[in-house]
Amino acid sequence: MTAAAAAPGNGDLVLRLRGIHKSFGTNHVLRGIDLSVGQGQHVVIFGPSGSGKSTLLRTANLLEQPDSGSVWFDGKEYGPGIPGAGGEDPPRGKPRDLRQQVGMVFQQFNLFPHITALENVALALRRVKGAKRAEAELEAASYLDQVGLLDKIGAYPSQLSGGQQQRVAIARSLVMEPKIMMFDEPTSALDPELVGEVLGVMRTLAESGMTMVVVTHEMGFAREAGDVNIFMDEGVIVEQGGREIYSHAREPRTQAFLDAIL
Amino acid sequence: MTAMALAQAVFRPEFIWDNRHIFVGGVKWTLVISLVSFVLAAVLGLVVALLRMSPSPIIGPIVAAYINLFRAIPLLVFVLFVYYGIAIQFNLTITAIQAGILTLTVQYSAWLGEIFRSGIQAVPDGQRQAALSVGMGRAQAFFRVTLPQAARIVIPPTGNMFIGMIKDSSLVYLIGVEELLRVSYVLANRTFRYFEVYMATVLVYLILTTGVYFLVKYIERRFALVDLLVSKTRSPFARRKAARLRRLQESLSGGGSAPSGPSV
Repeated sequence: MTAAAAAPGNGDLVLRLRGIHKSFGTNHVLRGIDLSVGQGQHVVIFGPSGSGKSTLLRTANLLEQPDSGSVWFDGKEYGPGIPGAGGEDPPRGKPRDLRQQVGMVFQQFNLFPHITALENVALALRRVKGAKRAEAELEAASYLDQVGLLDKIGAYPSQLSGGQQQRVAIARSLVMEPKIMMFDEPTSALDPELVGEVLGVMRTLAESGMTMVVVTHEMGFAREAGDVNIFMDEGVIVEQGGREIYSHAREPRTQAFLDAIL
Repeated sequence: MTAMALAQAVFRPEFIWDNRHIFVGGVKWTLVISLVSFVLAAVLGLVVALLRMSPSPIIGPIVAAYINLFRAIPLLVFVLFVYYGIAIQFNLTITAIQAGILTLTVQYSAWLGEIFRSGIQAVPDGQRQAALSVGMGRAQAFFRVTLPQAARIVIPPTGNMFIGMIKDSSLVYLIGVEELLRVSYVLANRTFRYFEVYMATVLVYLILTTGVYFLVKYIERRFALVDLLVSKTRSPFARRKAARLRRLQESLSGGGSAPSGPSV
């Protein structure tokens, strides 16, 4: 039921990247990325380290400003735009508006260590959405309950295992009711025995129909949940396809990478 | 002369007790000057730290010069320069206490500014990114996420600076502020009981600085992060918070029969 329940393709676009370029100094990390994400789609991005996967996610939610290119999200254009297309471009939105509706889960969790799990999840509800403390905490606790951590609401991040921290981080993003969730190698920093609990939460989320963009090396999860599967290398999208990409890659570079990691 | 020498030879600790009001008066000014200068220096130091990190090619270097200048001048020289030099040259009516507080504040703002800057920079950038990613603004991310973490990091070095401030405040005795060293100096010169007086002065400074040391340790412990539902929480604030969390758990697990953590 996993993928069938959340079949893609109703055509409603949520996020669209066009001509994204990003350099750090002389290092041209993204070399013209075009990517469309539809409502309810699960996009999996894989590729060797240094291929620009993480940077792609970070430019898509504008934690990194693209050097050029356009991010279309939910009816608004963000980012610097495409050179030469200035006149036709609609007005540019503020990065903060986009980030409030785009969830982001980091490889290193990045929980706020000075406040409890509950406060981590409630913080943005209070400070961004202006909720009262009682409402925010009840809402936050119910999201922590959903990721199985109701008994840990009073714990600080340092008292939680990596898997628990990452589940709190997922709840922290979900509580803002984002239109799309991005995962930047969410299990790469975890001990092997803790990967399962995080993937479990992500599977449930995928089944619930959440639109997701996931950078991952977990090929099991990718095969199961990936509606659109993207192989990136050296700052470009080399190949994009359905699940058949894992068994019958068209591009030799994709095949070589898959052979190496599987 | 012989009488004086004899008097000097006999150790009379009760002499200190008889003159305790003089020491108490001195301690009062030592504490006032240290506290006022330190609070002002901390506020100014935070501004210095923030401006020092400014990306502007003008502001950053100017603040760096401010820091290096005031760290480089001996405090004693600076006190004399401000009170006798600048005040007289420019005909400023400034009391010795004001001059003392001004010099201590300026000099300590440079040191504290560097401590605060290193504390802020020690907070990983991922924290700021995570705050932005949930929709917080730059200012919110700084004041709600980065700064509270930096504050914990700088507690020990800032405590050391306050101990330093109490000791350095003695230097303003030279411009006539009636703080602990000044009153000791006057009393000793008047009565010739140098040993008793200065031993008392040493002890009082020791008590003050040790007191601050334990206060800083207490603050560090108070800020330690422990699971509110598992640990034996002592402060009323933490206990109330833990009770609130338990009520939340019960309301969500439905029925209120949920096993909660061990009671306090």
